Amino acid sequence: MAMMNPVYTSRQDMLDEVITLGEEIVASSNLEVLRENANLNGESFSGKMSKFGSEYAKWYANHFVMPKPLVQAIQDNIVYVHDLDQYAIGTTNCIFIPFDKLLREGFNTGNGSVRPPNSIMTAMALVAIIFQSQQNAQYGGVSANKLDHDLAPYVTKSFVKYFRKGLDYFEEGDSAADYGLITMARSDLQAQYPRAFKYAVKETESETLQAAESLIHNLNTMSSRAGGQIPFTSINYGTCTSIEGQLVISSLLAATMRGLGSGETPIFPIQIFKCKQGVNQQPGEPNYELFLKAAECSAKRLYPNFANLDAPLNLMYYDPANPDTEFATMGCRTRVLSDRFGRNHLSGKGNLSFNTLNLVKLGLEHGIALGLRQTADEQGFYRELEHYMDIALDGLLHRFRIQSSQKAKASDFMMREGVWEGGEQLNPEDTVGELLKHGSLSIGFIGLAECMKAMYGKHHGEDADVYKKAYNLIAFMRDYCDRQSERHNLNITLFATPAEGLSGKFTKRDRADYGEIPGVVDREYYTNSFHIPVYYNISAAKKIELEAPFHGLCNAGAISYIELNGSARSNPAAFLRIIQYALSQQVSYFSINHPIDRCSGCGYEGIIGASCPSCNASEQDVHIRRLRRVTGYLTGDFQTRFNAAKQAEVRDRLKHST
Amino acid sequence: MNICGYYPESINEGEGLRAALFISGCRHYCKGCFSPATWNFLYGEPFTPEREQEIIRDIAGNPLLSGVSILGGDPFFSAAEVSAFLDRLREAAGAISAWIYSGYTFEELTRDAKSPEYGLLSRCQVLVDGRYVDELRDPSLLYRGSSNQRLIDIPASLSQRGIVEWRPTFSF
Repeated sequence: MAMMNPVYTSRQDMLDEVITLGEEIVASSNLEVLRENANLNGESFSGKMSKFGSEYAKWYANHFVMPKPLVQAIQDNIVYVHDLDQYAIGTTNCIFIPFDKLLREGFNTGNGSVRPPNSIMTAMALVAIIFQSQQNAQYGGVSANKLDHDLAPYVTKSFVKYFRKGLDYFEEGDSAADYGLITMARSDLQAQYPRAFKYAVKETESETLQAAESLIHNLNTMSSRAGGQIPFTSINYGTCTSIEGQLVISSLLAATMRGLGSGETPIFPIQIFKCKQGVNQQPGEPNYELFLKAAECSAKRLYPNFANLDAPLNLMYYDPANPDTEFATMGCRTRVLSDRFGRNHLSGKGNLSFNTLNLVKLGLEHGIALGLRQTADEQGFYRELEHYMDIALDGLLHRFRIQSSQKAKASDFMMREGVWEGGEQLNPEDTVGELLKHGSLSIGFIGLAECMKAMYGKHHGEDADVYKKAYNLIAFMRDYCDRQSERHNLNITLFATPAEGLSGKFTKRDRADYGEIPGVVDREYYTNSFHIPVYYNISAAKKIELEAPFHGLCNAGAISYIELNGSARSNPAAFLRIIQYALSQQVSYFSINHPIDRCSGCGYEGIIGASCPSCNASEQDVHIRRLRRVTGYLTGDFQTRFNAAKQAEVRDRLKHST
Repeated sequence: MNICGYYPESINEGEGLRAALFISGCRHYCKGCFSPATWNFLYGEPFTPEREQEIIRDIAGNPLLSGVSILGGDPFFSAAEVSAFLDRLREAAGAISAWIYSGYTFEELTRDAKSPEYGLLSRCQVLVDGRYVDELRDPSLLYRGSSNQRLIDIPASLSQRGIVEWRPTFSF
């Protein structure tokens, strides 16, 4: 047995903890534990089973694995280690999957090998299988960073098949003859064999739409991780300008708008539309119509979100000849683009792990909020901030050593199939360390707004001087990450943490320690990353302008949201204007939140108050499903799946309209 | 003149993101009106020059707005004052689009080209017209409550001397 972590001393205390852990899970008595993750039903059998595993794995990591200062910093409520249940076994966080390679070469899931697909229908079915297989090799999200480019060749394959069939059916030509490279853009073939060509176009369009529908259905129904949850999937698209690629995009959007079985909004995959000047941003650009369609879809379904390829931090790596260099993201916001070892593209790598700092507590300790001093002790604040960043970083490096020492066979599919680039060259017994260095280690932060309140009495949305201080604070953190990257020769990046499970945890402890402090610890959650608080009354434009500069600092990823009240689906002009304004302000990743309610009585979707505006049924009689976004992901119904802190945040969100 | 509501940004009262200003007072008394309290001309707060300046500054400084929407009550019962507000707004903010909501129909408002009502109408781009008819209520309608109400393109209708319906720039 490893050395017992000396933070704990009594064996009896440890035994009591283990027993309590189990009892709470069996009895579903601790809802905060069960609802930590809004996409996992912690009250189901499989959910409880996975909770048993993860809660004990966390306990084990705490007592026997992690460096003592890190454990102490967690206990001090300043550092949070995400996915702690995966720490001891060395799992990695998230990945962009090279679908082009896997589909082109075929792959083996471990239970059987799969040939390269010959149609778009099969290709999209395999995309779901690949997502599912990969999801079990890691703990975070799985993402397709350029699904339109990846799938376009299979639309062509379907088209060729139908075209040759059509030549036969309509007796227009020899189906076996050599026509050169047959694509949907071949106007010469269209002129010469009009009926076969038209037939092939129609069939290909219909097959692609069906394939997209089945992909979205699959990604909302398939389970991973022993049935505990559906894979956290994200798909990015928007820049492929071939007719085939455009068909992939329009079909995905059409299928998303059509919705699931009874027309409801799909929860997965998260969709991200990649915006690029010259490609899809102005009338006349090849994919502008698809951008409009994406906005329409987003107004109806909350997805897609919008990735800004023209933001300076993304544009610097952009190579128009290589779509793998286009900024894309995991739905929650992760960004991995630059690599000090030269892999300045996305697929085949991901984030390894991240630790988040509670800025609010540091602010409380060194600010004026507690009434212990007249002016903020900035020197003390920065000294302590750096101290805890050191601890958080040591934790990441320690965890990285555990991850690096894992054998390739531990993440079998991911390595053997080269989902992580280069993994296919490893033997099952080889360790993965040399390859993992291309991934990122990230330090995140939460509660900049409350930290500023605690330090200076105002947050960065309220006062221009405080804004400067807030910006400098995050710039300091970024500078620290850059310096440490050099020092350790690793990709160490700064993350605007999507704090779902975390948003209430830090707060709860700080409230117990400090009591309720107005504007700082008086809600159930801390404000996400650098966001202007959701409860603060501010115009949409101003919120965008204030948050945009932080995107440039957070090279591990960030997102900005605008909250709209009202039926966004009926006002596309507003939607488009806001998106394009955010893009023009260099926001890297953006989305608009708006409520989608669904009456289970008549199926009406829109804004529903106490009674359905369509069938007049009251909320007491029919269930109103209220869809809201949490940290980038949607959940079925925020009232039954969100934890208390996030429910409170949704209630407090002040809309930028009505 | 009193105002009974101001939303700096709204997506519910016209195309795009719009500032929405609600003018107190209405004598249509439509059955089923969703805000009968606003019939009273003394409801809400006085539209003081200070408040007006604040709203004008707000609108002029918001790059996301597609325009302003004026509702009520019914703004045409305060036509001259609302016209004066629009003039001052445009002096400060440039050519800003205005939508206006009324219980009067376009035909009623255009009967007398010298009336203050006509003056206000001609300062706006889109009219949502007609009384609210409870029996014709339809929640799926764009920007209005009952199916007798119309979205009218004011400049086109005035120049063609007939109703030209407004069409959305984008149709989702």
